[in-house]
Amino acid sequence: MKPRVIFAGLLSLAIAGALGWAVLERTLPAENLPERVAQAMPLSGVEHPITAVLLNFRGYDTLLEIAVLLLAVVVALALREAQPDRPERMGLENPLLRAVMAWLLPLILITTGFLLWAGAYQPGGAFQAGSVLAAGGLLLRLAGVTTAWLDNPAVLRTGLAMGLLTFLAVGLLVMLPGVPFLTYPTEYAGALILLIELTLTLSIGLTLISLFRLTPPYADDPEEARDQPSSRNGGMAS
Amino acid sequence: MIGFWSVPLLFALPLALGIVSLLAPPAWRARLGLAGLLPLLAASIAVFAHLVLDGPHTYALGNWNAPLGINLAVDGLAAGMVLLTAVVSSLCAIYAWVYLRDQPASSSFFWPLLWFLWAGMNGIWLAEDIFNLYVGLEVMGLAAVGLVALKATPQALAAAMRYLLAALLGSLAYLLGVALLYASYGTLSMAGLQEAATADVTTQVALALIILGLLLKTALFPLHAWLPPAHGGALTPVSALLSALVVKGSFYILLRIWMVLGTEVTPFATAQLLGILGAGAVFYGGWMAWRQHHLKQLVAYSTVAQIGYLFLFFPLVTGTGPEAARLAWDGTLMMLIAHALAKAALFLSAGNLILAVGSAHIGHLVGISRFRPMSLFSFGLAGVSLMGLPPSGGFTGKWLLLNSAILSGQWWWLIVLFLGGLLSAAYIFKVFRMAFREGPQVDHSVTPPLTLDVTALMLAASAILIGLTAHLPLAWLRIGSPFGAG
Repeated sequence: MKPRVIFAGLLSLAIAGALGWAVLERTLPAENLPERVAQAMPLSGVEHPITAVLLNFRGYDTLLEIAVLLLAVVVALALREAQPDRPERMGLENPLLRAVMAWLLPLILITTGFLLWAGAYQPGGAFQAGSVLAAGGLLLRLAGVTTAWLDNPAVLRTGLAMGLLTFLAVGLLVMLPGVPFLTYPTEYAGALILLIELTLTLSIGLTLISLFRLTPPYADDPEEARDQPSSRNGGMAS
Repeated sequence: MIGFWSVPLLFALPLALGIVSLLAPPAWRARLGLAGLLPLLAASIAVFAHLVLDGPHTYALGNWNAPLGINLAVDGLAAGMVLLTAVVSSLCAIYAWVYLRDQPASSSFFWPLLWFLWAGMNGIWLAEDIFNLYVGLEVMGLAAVGLVALKATPQALAAAMRYLLAALLGSLAYLLGVALLYASYGTLSMAGLQEAATADVTTQVALALIILGLLLKTALFPLHAWLPPAHGGALTPVSALLSALVVKGSFYILLRIWMVLGTEVTPFATAQLLGILGAGAVFYGGWMAWRQHHLKQLVAYSTVAQIGYLFLFFPLVTGTGPEAARLAWDGTLMMLIAHALAKAALFLSAGNLILAVGSAHIGHLVGISRFRPMSLFSFGLAGVSLMGLPPSGGFTGKWLLLNSAILSGQWWWLIVLFLGGLLSAAYIFKVFRMAFREGPQVDHSVTPPLTLDVTALMLAASAILIGLTAHLPLAWLRIGSPFGAG
């Protein structure tokens, strides 16, 4: 075995050991955060504590995480634009898949809607709903259904950014009565959270589909990738 | 009222600008970017002015106070970093506007990524919650990786990939530490942790993971290998942003967490070890910078070296007297600010020199002093601060660190400060020796647009000026810190 591998193995073992030790030795927290969440639940606008934490109590974290997702697509778009070719159309000419999709797609859409709605009172929400939506989109793509409207940059980018934009706009608009960023008025909290989650679902679904579409067809073969001529070179400073 | 609107605008405005510039037609993005600089600069100045006038304050997002919600904390250090970010990023953005004019492909994505980077950095400076710091790190790190990849050469892509993997590994280690701390204290707020923290095994393992992750992200020797290709290989304005500000992000978190937990929880040896690694960075980075033939790689290795000085903070502040600790705080922050200004200036002027001679090889600079005195002057001014010569910010910072080392009886750090300065002089003068040599290689040069020279000069001049007027910014930076209101 290479010394590098041995070193990496020993390091992993040491970290795993330290983690195990730390977990075993852990003292129970004096601060009871679940209790605080439970007390604040009536003011949160939703009934499920996870949704309340994600979209209300710690909504700012989620806002930045959505920014990370959008950022990932922006980086992928930037890299893709540097490639000379468009991604090849991926589609299996498989009539069975198409037939199954005709049955599956309505179910996928219903599941998406249910997960989104369920987030208010049980596990669910925008991330799960968006992932299911994206799975539907990928299946459509594999079945060879054209998604030409996704090639329109204006439409695609508006869809991608809509979640973050809505979240940000809500966060700023609720400040008008003179309260801090993201302070929902208690009586509208549920509706605002649903609005944010709805747009987040669409944007998250679109984000995942885009990341899939933007992957270059030959990404797994670095040798071949190196032979491709670059459409632009580094420019002035090399 | 000013603080009420300007604090959330510090992250909301760059996020909004990022989205708008993504939706705008590529040709408009640069103009939109320049227009967006003004309100962001105004918000940053407003937050700083509010701090100086009214003292430190917290901002409870969603009106939920920590530990249930997330607080933002505006103290001297946070507001100072916000202002530093605003100044350096604005000048780099103006530079990029001109520099990327004939590279529309890079320019169109530079702007959205710059805004997201800015939002991530402001998020980190203001955060008071250790998980929120992680999210801020992710925004900043991913935007930085995207900016490195913008150059789209195979080398730049490889560097970006390496940077991404190092950043992710660092984030993951940090997150593990955060999870352990949350499991044993039930709070993510730094104020809450400071109250509750004890020196038990869990806390120490958590802190070790956090420190390891942040060292990797700060590129402290010997975890620095990802930095030179990423910083040296990126587009010039990106190099400047990364070296001046982005590496400071993870150092800032380390400093914050050390002030909350480190001084009580960690053994004395950890602080010394961090100082020794810092010393290693100063020597190794300086030596490697001197050996480079590629101008921007030289500047990038200089960053590896300069990061080392910042880590002298830990041995000088841990277990030493209050006066020595205060000097270490002042000195480290002065080094941080001076390096941010000087390194941005050094990268931008190096970019100008490369534009002028059409080559990044230091040997090709022969004779350039006749044609591009202004670029070389900026390079020299920034170099003065990096070498630590008076009256620059670099000198003031080193002087304060030196006093702190003497006061706490840790004379061995003096060697690092002196030899490090000599090494910096060696690599800066290596460039100058070539530039002033009369030779046949260059008999003409390309004249870069004046804006490029002016922005570099403004940054270099600020690195000198901050040393001359160090008293005031240092007093402001102490507001709300353990070292008292100045």
